[in-house]
Amino acid sequence: MPKSKAIKRERPKEKFSYDPRKVLSKLEEYGRSVLEAIKSGKNPYFDIPTRGLNNVYFDEKAKLIRMGDKLSRRYFLNVAHARKFMQTLLIMAYVKRLVAEGKHASLREAYYANKHTIPGTKENTFEDQRESDPIIEDLERMLGVLREEMHITADRRGYIYGDIVIRDGEDEFNASKLGSGGWAVPGTVEHIQFPEINVDYALVVETAAMADRLIEEKFPKKEKALIIATQGQASRGVRRLIHRLHYEEGLPIIVFTDGDPYGWYIYSTIKQGSINLAYLSDKLATPEARFVGMTMDDIKRYGLENVTEKLKGIPPNKKGGPTGDYKRILEEMEYPWFQNKEWQRQLKMALKWGVRIEQQALANKSLEFVAKEYLPEKINNGDLLP
Amino acid sequence: MAEANQLFKEFKIQSVSEFFRRNAAMLGYTGKVRSLTTLVHEAVTNSLDACEEAGISPYIRVEIEELGREHYKVVVEDNGPGIPEKYITHVFGKMLAGTKAHRNIQSRGQQGIGISGAVMFAQITSGKATRVVTSTGNEIIEAWVKIDVDRNEGKIVKKEKHPNPDGWHGTRIELEVKNVKYMRSKQGVYWYLKLTAIANPHAHIELIEPDGRLIVFPRSSDEIPEPPVEMKPHPKGVLTDDVYRMAKKTRRTSVRRFLVGEFSRISDKKVDELVEYIAALRLIKTVEDKKVQEQLYERLMKGEVKAVLRSFKGYTKVVKQVARMMEKPPEKLTWHEAEEIVEAFKYMKFLAPPTHGLRPIGEENIEKGLKGILKPEFVTAVTRPPKVYSGGIPFQVEVGLAYGGEIPSGFELLRYANRVPLLFDAGSCVTTQAARSIDWKRYRVDDLDRTPLVLMINVVSVHVPYTGTGKQSIASVDEIYNEIRLAIMDAARRLQTYLSGKHRRLYQVKRKKTFEKYVPEIARALSVLTGEPEEKIREYFIRFIESHFASKGQEVSENA
Repeated sequence: MPKSKAIKRERPKEKFSYDPRKVLSKLEEYGRSVLEAIKSGKNPYFDIPTRGLNNVYFDEKAKLIRMGDKLSRRYFLNVAHARKFMQTLLIMAYVKRLVAEGKHASLREAYYANKHTIPGTKENTFEDQRESDPIIEDLERMLGVLREEMHITADRRGYIYGDIVIRDGEDEFNASKLGSGGWAVPGTVEHIQFPEINVDYALVVETAAMADRLIEEKFPKKEKALIIATQGQASRGVRRLIHRLHYEEGLPIIVFTDGDPYGWYIYSTIKQGSINLAYLSDKLATPEARFVGMTMDDIKRYGLENVTEKLKGIPPNKKGGPTGDYKRILEEMEYPWFQNKEWQRQLKMALKWGVRIEQQALANKSLEFVAKEYLPEKINNGDLLP
Repeated sequence: MAEANQLFKEFKIQSVSEFFRRNAAMLGYTGKVRSLTTLVHEAVTNSLDACEEAGISPYIRVEIEELGREHYKVVVEDNGPGIPEKYITHVFGKMLAGTKAHRNIQSRGQQGIGISGAVMFAQITSGKATRVVTSTGNEIIEAWVKIDVDRNEGKIVKKEKHPNPDGWHGTRIELEVKNVKYMRSKQGVYWYLKLTAIANPHAHIELIEPDGRLIVFPRSSDEIPEPPVEMKPHPKGVLTDDVYRMAKKTRRTSVRRFLVGEFSRISDKKVDELVEYIAALRLIKTVEDKKVQEQLYERLMKGEVKAVLRSFKGYTKVVKQVARMMEKPPEKLTWHEAEEIVEAFKYMKFLAPPTHGLRPIGEENIEKGLKGILKPEFVTAVTRPPKVYSGGIPFQVEVGLAYGGEIPSGFELLRYANRVPLLFDAGSCVTTQAARSIDWKRYRVDDLDRTPLVLMINVVSVHVPYTGTGKQSIASVDEIYNEIRLAIMDAARRLQTYLSGKHRRLYQVKRKKTFEKYVPEIARALSVLTGEPEEKIREYFIRFIESHFASKGQEVSENA
């Protein structure tokens, strides 16, 4: 098959914009407003955008899940709020020190660093990490600043492989020369820069097994692609990296997941963002990402009928249904961003046939099949779902 | 017949004293602890009554001395008016001798048996005479009194007279008793005196226990209750025997004058009505058909007396007969006629009896009594207006409620009848039933058994319907039960208001602390964020909290 390169790196749309001074000045501004309120005898408060489904909407124009403008006011002089008010200030002060000193802390470190017994009581400032994590999320919402920009990092998961030069602090290296394991994506990617990029696009792969297969088959080199393995649901670091590669470096994003409701959901999160992190969609989501597979059409086209798996749960027309995978598919059919012919067709087919198909099922053809035929064919023909 | 003669050879007429000697239990002398309490009760009651009648603030001192195993000397001394010499045997030696037994009057005492019963109990357990020291202000008389059981008479065994330079007046009696026991239980002397002190805040009561410990229940009110006044009986409350005996004793010249003059709520017009009712009843009794008779009784009950009369031929003759009965001298009234009068009373309507004879403690004095003895943090009292039970017996209910302070946890019910504490048979008492029937949770008393709460109930009446002879439990009469419930609920509502206010205040203090404890943390964080000194920030916050709660505190006290 002729290899016409249909997908190329595009022009960057955004400039890298992280500036620690911005975070610091925002924190100071909030601190001063509290101080001024208390000085003039007013009950100080913070306005925090409400979390949860009822303050989330789909922005049709930007194709993003966005946070609404509902606010909850957190007062100092309110028995129900006082503790959280205090905790908010503690974390703010902590973040200020982290950013000012250029140090990073994990969520758990942030918890332990701020946990202590309140003098004269048996009460701790934080009893549990489940108390500090939401406060940090609140701050992200309140300040419109990423947790990573506040130097509080999440767990790392996922890796990349491909001909791309990465500058991480004082280190600079090529991600195709780090062995078959590639480069593990850190919790925060704000400080990372890409002095050199020799790939045409980024292929986001759901499973590590499939990413390994592609690397072994030298797919990145042959197709001038960057492999990004998410290892299940994409972590914040990976999502932010995808976003940056697309908007700051102009790399087209193509997503390759299993052909099942979970795989499609991973795609949906990368593309439109998630309800949980709706306030960060601007920085995490990549609405222009496209989907290469697996699709229901692939089953027929590549003769994979023998290697499908049954969907889990009870179908909608059976008693007790729908549950499990069926229920998830029906929910996804309701997503605004799946409201297009192609996706509705795929989802309906899955429901009708009651099957799912994994990436690895392609190995039924041959080990090289996915790298040599399936992906190049579909990508270069532009046979992608929106 | 010979056999019968043989049998009756041993038969003797028993004197009143002899009867009670053999039936001491009827006077409350059962059980070792209770007997001692009864003894003290009789003496203290006499003292209180005497002081009130003389208008003296009572000062009563009770001393229990242990002489041996179940062997005690009981001393009760008061500052009352004293007893004139010639009445000493009368007061202490004769059963049923008092003036109260035949009077329609609210009283504490046991109708004249009381103190002589105590003298007798001492005598039959220890064999000792009762020592009485008394003075009306002149010379002091010291007498040793015994009861001649066979003749129901008091005997002075020994008598001495002493000068009285200080003009002391009062009475001190010393009884030596056996087969009794002093215990600090809920039925003992200590508890009895404590309850007496609560219901009689105008009295100063002291107790010296056998181990020498002095306990003082101080006076908390200067107001001496007025002695009860005698009331004429109400027609609805009398028995045939009452009418019959009163008729024999009266000085009135005709039955009509007697009825109008010696009963309450009977006027000349009412006597005319009574004549008609008696006539109607006589006529109804002549009807043979039972069904018709029943109907006539029913109509009479509805007040259709004239119509009932007219349904009989020649009824005027009967009416005239009855009318003649009203004009004859009362001492000629026969038992049967008295019976007719009482039966007619049942069908007639009368105004409710007057209630001026009732002597409630009063809300203010109940509060003083509870406050003075129990030292609670909250107290309230309710005295209900007088009501009537059984158609004609006036009664009145009052309750006091004390909460918190020095009161230990747990619910305590203090029962009184005419101010006299009831210590026994609580289970069968209407007061207990009424108190239990209250849904205390509605009044913010969530766990009655863990709440420091004392409820006192006093049932005041000319005739308290006791169950049994012990006079320790009030019968469950619907009217009384309902009045008690209403009184408790009224008091409980006030308690509820108080508790709500208290909860609110406690809540405010807790709230304030909640905010204050976070201030140092907040100040440190804000200092990091703004660069202002921590101490200054702390001051701003503390000042803010203070001013906020200062205004809040005012609101609460205004509401409370």
